[in-house]
Amino acid sequence: MTTTNDHTVDRDLIATVISLFAAKSGHDVVIKAEEEGLLPSLWASVSELGLPLVGIDDTAGGSGGTLLDLLAILHAAGQHAVPLPLSETHLAAWLLSEAGQQVSDGPMTVVPGTPKDTLALTDGVVSGRAYDVPWARGVDRIVALVNDSSGAPYVVTIDPGACEITPGTDLAGQPRDVIEVKDLAVEAVSSPVDRDGLLLRGALVTAAKMAGALETIATLTRGYTEERVQFGRPISKFQAVQQHVVTLFQMATMASLNVSRAGRTAMDGPASFEICALKQVVDKNASIAIRAAHQAHGAFGMTQEYRLQQLTRRLNAWRSEFGDELQLASRIGKAISNAGKLEHVIVGGSAVLEV
Amino acid sequence: MQLEATELTEAEMALQMEVREYLQQRLPAGTYEVGLGMAANNDVEFSKDLGAKGWLGMALPKEYGGGGRTAVERLIVVEELLAVGAPIGFHWVGDRQSGPSIAKHGTEEQKQAFLPGIASGELGFAIGMSEPDSGSDLASLRSRAEKIDGGWRINGTKIWTSGAYQATTILGLFRTSEHKHEGLTQFIIDRNVEGLTISPIPFIDGTRHFCELSFEDVFIPDERRLGEVGGGWAQNTGELVLERGGVDRWMSLMPILEWWAASDAVKNSPGAQADLGAIAARSWAFRGMNLAVARMVDDGKSPVTEAALIKEMATRFEQESLDTVARHYGRAPDLNSDDPHESLLARAILVSPSWSIRGGTNEILRTVIAKGLGK
Ligand SMILES: Cc1cc2nc3c(=O)[nH]c(=O)nc-3n(C[C@H](O)[C@H](O)[C@H](O)COP(=O)(O)OP(=O)(O)OC[C@H]3O[C@@H](n4cnc5c(N)ncnc54)[C@H](O)[C@@H]3O)c2cc1C
Repeated sequence: MTTTNDHTVDRDLIATVISLFAAKSGHDVVIKAEEEGLLPSLWASVSELGLPLVGIDDTAGGSGGTLLDLLAILHAAGQHAVPLPLSETHLAAWLLSEAGQQVSDGPMTVVPGTPKDTLALTDGVVSGRAYDVPWARGVDRIVALVNDSSGAPYVVTIDPGACEITPGTDLAGQPRDVIEVKDLAVEAVSSPVDRDGLLLRGALVTAAKMAGALETIATLTRGYTEERVQFGRPISKFQAVQQHVVTLFQMATMASLNVSRAGRTAMDGPASFEICALKQVVDKNASIAIRAAHQAHGAFGMTQEYRLQQLTRRLNAWRSEFGDELQLASRIGKAISNAGKLEHVIVGGSAVLEV
Repeated sequence: MQLEATELTEAEMALQMEVREYLQQRLPAGTYEVGLGMAANNDVEFSKDLGAKGWLGMALPKEYGGGGRTAVERLIVVEELLAVGAPIGFHWVGDRQSGPSIAKHGTEEQKQAFLPGIASGELGFAIGMSEPDSGSDLASLRSRAEKIDGGWRINGTKIWTSGAYQATTILGLFRTSEHKHEGLTQFIIDRNVEGLTISPIPFIDGTRHFCELSFEDVFIPDERRLGEVGGGWAQNTGELVLERGGVDRWMSLMPILEWWAASDAVKNSPGAQADLGAIAARSWAFRGMNLAVARMVDDGKSPVTEAALIKEMATRFEQESLDTVARHYGRAPDLNSDDPHESLLARAILVSPSWSIRGGTNEILRTVIAKGLGK
């Protein structure tokens, strides 16, 4: 097991990232991305710093850095609603590098894999459809895990130009498409990561983005309630309004701390319990926080012109990605019910029980 | 607000295993009455045995019989005790807050007089703060300590004092001048002192841990004043971090959850499993927060806002979890059932509203948090 010292974050890098996102991903930029899709200049500014490939070993063509660095970057991206496929590019690069492949620059996405998907691999040829693929329009490469006839997982890279893409959008207005390929010859590499491994990694990085968004809606709401005056005083003076702010900080603090915790556990070994618990908690916190933030903002928060919606819509979209509340809770509960040791799992985590 | 992630060291995990194994031997299932967290039964022998193991007064200095250990190590021991519903009632308050407060503010003589007894499990403390007319607004306390020759004369009434009947010692907060906050002072009071009458107030579940204390011209020597005259309010605030920041604030229910998690009812119900999973996930998340707060305490910080923030939502979570278990139980549990789990569940249903009242109500905590966040 590694020591606590290895669980460090590159603080300088993160500080740079936060100010970059703050400067480059303002309200108008997010609106523009919603209209136009992936903004090449925005991508270029993060790509220059190597951000999309942090957390991928430099020997594989990545930018180096740890999983915790990656999570901190995605947390910051969530804080600023950065309209780029950063976590998607990470997941694609991660699948490739785990399978011994080199990665290169450029936005990528990953096929999350829904029960409806029909993508299948036969003799180096892929056919079928995949649903809910984020950012398929606009990326350079689509990476998918597909099973061969024996059920073994392979990593394949698909050129978006070689697919038929049916555009769709998620709740935040970001691309989420259906792709279809017919008899496409691909290079397929045997993957050490299976579908569940991708789900866990996806849940972890999504939770990091969500925690960031929760932090922002908490500070945004506190600021708003201090400025908005009703009955002759700032509404922040009313206890009932304070409750909403308190709730928001509770949800955000709980989410952010536990992203770091689960990330640290994942660096040391299996973390299926921690990651499922994290995403379950953050999904639940998101639903509570969204309601509290909008309630405290009144009608103003419901408008397109105000920042809040950019974050709450993202939270709503991410809640259902890589496992939702019910699915993750069922998975954890089933495992614990079979093992029959609740407290040991709560304090011992995946070292006691992988779920 | 930011909490730093932390995990247990190898040595801390070894302690966890040691406590777990000890409790399996010392409290075999069926040989003791399982309790609901800190409101569990008093068992002086058990408290002494824990003291002998070095698991009481862990954070007290060694020269006074304490363990010279950390808040995190104490958290580890506490978790295991709460998980099995151990009879911790007698030593709970002294171990959690009165001991650390005396170690911090007490005179040399007071430390020698009280800390060894807390660490060995021989002394049991009760907290005398609330009064009939002062609950949330402690600054309005009226029970008075009046300076007389060689000491103080105390008159007034304290109420809702948990465990006072069985306690050996009471740490009380009294008015010593008219200043709202600076007019309060703490005293260490012997339970058998002349002029003090302790009367149990039967609790909602029929137990008698709740007490009223009536002081009539009680003489307290000045050597039993804790800290400076007028320093009581500030000392109390420090104790509240210890009172609010712990896992005890959401682990009352743990013995019930544990039993429920292992039951066939859950094995056979996907719906119950999903509820169990959600409870486990959130418990894990709270536990991480409490661990982070304990490390802050070990770093010499006083995380007042953080402790309040966690307690406020953790007690609500605990109540919601109980609702979940009760809903899956399928019928109203009987307080007098022969099945100890059933009667414990029934008791939990009756007492659970108190979880978000004791130690500061949720409404007050929200104000504390809101103020702390503004800073
Ligand atoms: C099980 C249990 C054990 C206890 N053990 C002890 C003990 O050992 N020692 C001890 O000293 N005390 C103890 N207490 C007392 C406890 O600290 C008080 O009950 C608590 O502080 C609330 O005071 P109160 O009951 O007088 O309610 P009140 O203060 O009268 O409050 C009634 C309601 O009004 C709300 N309220 C009051 N003021 C405000 C405000 N400013 N803003 C918003 N809402 C407000 C409260 O939140 C509550 O909902 C115990 C209580 C319980 C239930």
